[in-house]
Amino acid sequence: MKAVKLGLIGLGFQGRIHLRSCTKLRNAKLTTVCDTSKKALNYAKKWGIKRRFTDYHKLLEDENIDAVIIALPTFLHRTAAETAAEAGKNILLEKPLARSVKEGKEILSAADRNGVKLMVGYQMRFHPPFIQLKEKMDDGILGEIQTAYATYIQAGPFSHRSERHIPRPVPEWWFHRELTGGGSLIDMGCHIINLLRWYFGDITDIQSYLKYRFNLEVEDNAICLAKFNSGPLSIINLGWFSQRLILRIELNGTMGHTSVQRESQNFIVTAFKRLLTSSSDWTPFTKELEHFVECITHDFQPGPSGADALKDLEAIELAYENRHKILPSQSYRYPERESLA
Amino acid sequence: MSLVSLVEIQKESQVREAILDALDLIGYKFPAIRKVVIKPNLCYYWDYSTGRTTDPRFMLTLINLIRDQASSNIDLSIIESDASAMKCKYAFKMLGYEKLAKQYEVNLVNLTDDETEDAEVTVDNEVFHFRVPNTIRKADLRINVPKLKYMSVDPKIKITCALKNVFGCNPYPRKFEYHGILGKVIVALNKLMKFDLCILDGNIVFGVRTKRMGLVMASRDPVAFDAAAAEIAGVNPKSINYLFLAQREKVGKVSYVSKGDCLEHFKAAYPKKETKDKIFHLCRNLVHAIGLGDRLGI
Repeated sequence: MKAVKLGLIGLGFQGRIHLRSCTKLRNAKLTTVCDTSKKALNYAKKWGIKRRFTDYHKLLEDENIDAVIIALPTFLHRTAAETAAEAGKNILLEKPLARSVKEGKEILSAADRNGVKLMVGYQMRFHPPFIQLKEKMDDGILGEIQTAYATYIQAGPFSHRSERHIPRPVPEWWFHRELTGGGSLIDMGCHIINLLRWYFGDITDIQSYLKYRFNLEVEDNAICLAKFNSGPLSIINLGWFSQRLILRIELNGTMGHTSVQRESQNFIVTAFKRLLTSSSDWTPFTKELEHFVECITHDFQPGPSGADALKDLEAIELAYENRHKILPSQSYRYPERESLA
Repeated sequence: MSLVSLVEIQKESQVREAILDALDLIGYKFPAIRKVVIKPNLCYYWDYSTGRTTDPRFMLTLINLIRDQASSNIDLSIIESDASAMKCKYAFKMLGYEKLAKQYEVNLVNLTDDETEDAEVTVDNEVFHFRVPNTIRKADLRINVPKLKYMSVDPKIKITCALKNVFGCNPYPRKFEYHGILGKVIVALNKLMKFDLCILDGNIVFGVRTKRMGLVMASRDPVAFDAAAAEIAGVNPKSINYLFLAQREKVGKVSYVSKGDCLEHFKAAYPKKETKDKIFHLCRNLVHAIGLGDRLGI
């Protein structure tokens, strides 16, 4: 079977994860990469990628490339995806699909017009614990799900604030709402909303409380109350404010409760686990890419599809419309509480 | 020997009293002056709750105290400069300084954008050239409000406190270029830009983790101040070469007399590096040194 030839546009944090994951694929080969930064291209060189461009149009001109992975900042998604679709390339587009529903629709229409496959990078859908959660639910072991609590908190674009890393610059586009489309609600909420929609179906109503601890244009904390058409109510807690990662989904059914939780792991434990497990097991990104490649090889529609991600964006836009803003305190007083023992 | 005062914050609402006591113990009163610069320790976009950056509430308490003691019409500037991974315009906003400045009529100065004068300084027979920001040059009083942390980027530096905080007064943003000669550069900058008073915001501290420690420390001597800070962090000041270099260059004295609350009390409270933390750091450095970190996506 002919190996699928992949191109990668964008070698930032996410792009590099894709690059590393591509090296583990059996039926595909990453042949070409593109980034405006020379440093990023040198990184790809170290991983043995021979064809490296600073302009993605050149990458798209390569007729040997079957599909592209787009890992660019959100504000560049539409232009890059439309250009890739017009060049006849299948697309794996990093989440979120776009900054708005309008932009998302334009991406979908370009993919349809040109008959290319469009998949959106929700790697959680390929993470075994979340798949097992769905299996449990579908098996009926939990009875009928009434409520779900989802928490996804970390440092967001400031992930290098994570205490055991040396700080690295935050790309400036993260500070501007018009370039990101929003804060933690769109950035991390799209993952959770997609996952919950996969479990429960479409969202019929969603309200949000948005907090602005860091005084940015975008929210750094969002709490949403979502109602799904299959019945469950869900509280979704999304934050960019913490040094420590927590990702937790709890399902409460009429016959039982279950949850999945991921936290920041001890560095040594993570290193050993990853060394000991088989090459593709430790990262859902590899599984996501394997699925994408398989869909191209066998001409299936990949999932999560662009249409699926558009529904997530619609829910997110509705949450932004139904928002209650909680601005940070204007007071610089210390709290009146007993201090130390 | 220089005086270093240590005062425990009894209640968070009594930070003002703690600062006053700390200044009293070293016999300091704010003089009647016109222009004051205050250098907090801003580091990346970590906010005060992490213990890594100066709390804007501590800063405001100090500002109010200066206004009460010196003059209400005093020209106050909070200064910081861009760094390799931090832009002042975002740090001031995110860490609460922009709002504070607007509400309480304080200037916020990004030293990277400030007018400067070229200066030459010799440390350990090595000549260094820097640009000295005019805001600092023209100030009548310079106050250093650092945090006490371990230095992870350059293990030889061991701790970062008052002397290292002045490193942030260098307007040149690509500060990572100094790593390797950091000790000398810190001393050079302290020789060029002498601060009159150091006050530690030790209410929330960060060692190997964040902790509320409730300490205010004050001294006029940044070297003595750092020597006491090192003791609290469980680091022998004698093992910190740049403290002695600073002493040789007459920035201050390593030996000090502590006044106020007992240093041992804060030393016991500080979240110090334990053996397991040292092993952890060793393993991490090893994994990265052999290039495994990247391969494992860590």
